[in-house]
Amino acid sequence: MDNLGFLFAVFGIAWLVLFFYVLVLIRGQDRLRKEVTKLNAIMKEKGTDKPAH
Amino acid sequence: MRTSYLRGLTVLGLLLMLAALYMIFVYVPTEATMGAVQRIFYFHVPLAWLAFMAFFIVFICSVVYLVMRNPKWDLVASSSAEIGVIFTSLFLISGSLWAKPIWGVWWIWEPRLTAALVLWIIYIAYLLVRSYVQNKEQGARLAAVVGIAGFVDVPVVALAVALWRTDHPSPVIFEGGLAPSMLYTLLVCITAFSVLFLVLLLLKLANKDIESEIKQIYKQLI
Amino acid sequence: MAFWRKVLAITRKDIISEFRAREIIGLVLVFVLLVILIFNFAFGAANEVISKTAPGMLWVTFAFAGVLSLNRAFIMEKEEGCLEGLMVAPISRDIIYAGKMLSCLVFLLVVEVIALPIFAFLFNLNVFSGEILVITLLSTVGFVACGTLFSALAVKTRARELVLPVLFLPIVIPVIICAVKATGLAMEGKSWTDITNWLLIIGSFDLIFLVISFWVFSFIIEE
Repeated sequence: MDNLGFLFAVFGIAWLVLFFYVLVLIRGQDRLRKEVTKLNAIMKEKGTDKPAH
Repeated sequence: MRTSYLRGLTVLGLLLMLAALYMIFVYVPTEATMGAVQRIFYFHVPLAWLAFMAFFIVFICSVVYLVMRNPKWDLVASSSAEIGVIFTSLFLISGSLWAKPIWGVWWIWEPRLTAALVLWIIYIAYLLVRSYVQNKEQGARLAAVVGIAGFVDVPVVALAVALWRTDHPSPVIFEGGLAPSMLYTLLVCITAFSVLFLVLLLLKLANKDIESEIKQIYKQLI
Repeated sequence: MAFWRKVLAITRKDIISEFRAREIIGLVLVFVLLVILIFNFAFGAANEVISKTAPGMLWVTFAFAGVLSLNRAFIMEKEEGCLEGLMVAPISRDIIYAGKMLSCLVFLLVVEVIALPIFAFLFNLNVFSGEILVITLLSTVGFVACGTLFSALAVKTRARELVLPVLFLPIVIPVIICAVKATGLAMEGKSWTDITNWLLIIGSFDLIFLVISFWVFSFIIEE
């Protein structure tokens, strides 16, 4: 059949780009969530260590 | 609450995408004049349509942000712009890859394509302007201005190029009526991509929410 | 009216300070000459080539000259501390916009009025028709209307002189398209009726961006 290479290229590129974008977003979210838990832990520590203002 | 929305939407999106792929590759008959390559159309058009919707969202959110100054609107605007730029890049690439086998050239200076290119550049500038400003709130304001000016400008660009084009006639983009099967396929694809867009937007917004939460915590720590 | 008096006060200040310092107009004119020279070598000087590319060359030259002059509108103000002075004055923000816009308009028009005969001389073209002057005027208003807006915006960013062209040039593309087309038609000697379509687009662009800039300017300028 004709020009199937181009057809494949379009769908392939679209899928790859969108897939990687979703991956980036989800990885980012994981990283951010970890940071939040870490920071919350620090906050709790500080809360018990610091004398009241 | 948002997580369950997100999960539900993602599942819906995946199902719709599967349905769309089936319709594109199995259900719809091959188009007579262009052959199999024409199936690119079913990705190209929804991407373009949604990119335009994304920038329309940026425009509305920019206006509301300037008026109400609630940062949530700015968050939606910047997220929508980012996804809009990705979709625009994809539809420009798919358009080129479709044009090469059909017309023999990667690009023609035709109103819609040119306006799309200008749109792409303007919204990349929109995203860049934010990173070039120290103060976040100021960056949001400046970006809102770019978002408004850009959106208003694009129809004028299209009009100017259309008028310019009447002197340089060229192959017409695939117009003509759509057979019913093609119309259904297109509609399913547009729906699938709309859901995809929403999923991406919600994911991005969730990220931004967590980021601002982190900023709050940092502020309290210091 | 009080509005115009204040606006013109700002414009006058800009024009007088430019006259005294002579920073921009002289340099921009030399720049225009250089750009014309480079285009001449880039495209070759054969007559057919010249008549085809002349409108494009003219408007690319003006677009670049515009970017240079617009940089001056706010970027130099910021460096001298004049911007804070203007902000503290008891005037509404659109007065600042109007004043700046008019002074940029004057500068750019002066540059163009001097550049056009140079162009005519170097390329043996008739650029002095009424049509071309109207096209130039309308297009310059368009350039300056959104250029002043983006100049104020660029001043708030880090890479000032780069941000202005990156924002300004894509938005101003319709003006360039129509100006080049209309100038080409005018150089061929076509009548007014042929170029009205193009003038209408430029005119509506001017109107749209004057209105938008007036509204949005205060959001950019505030601290």
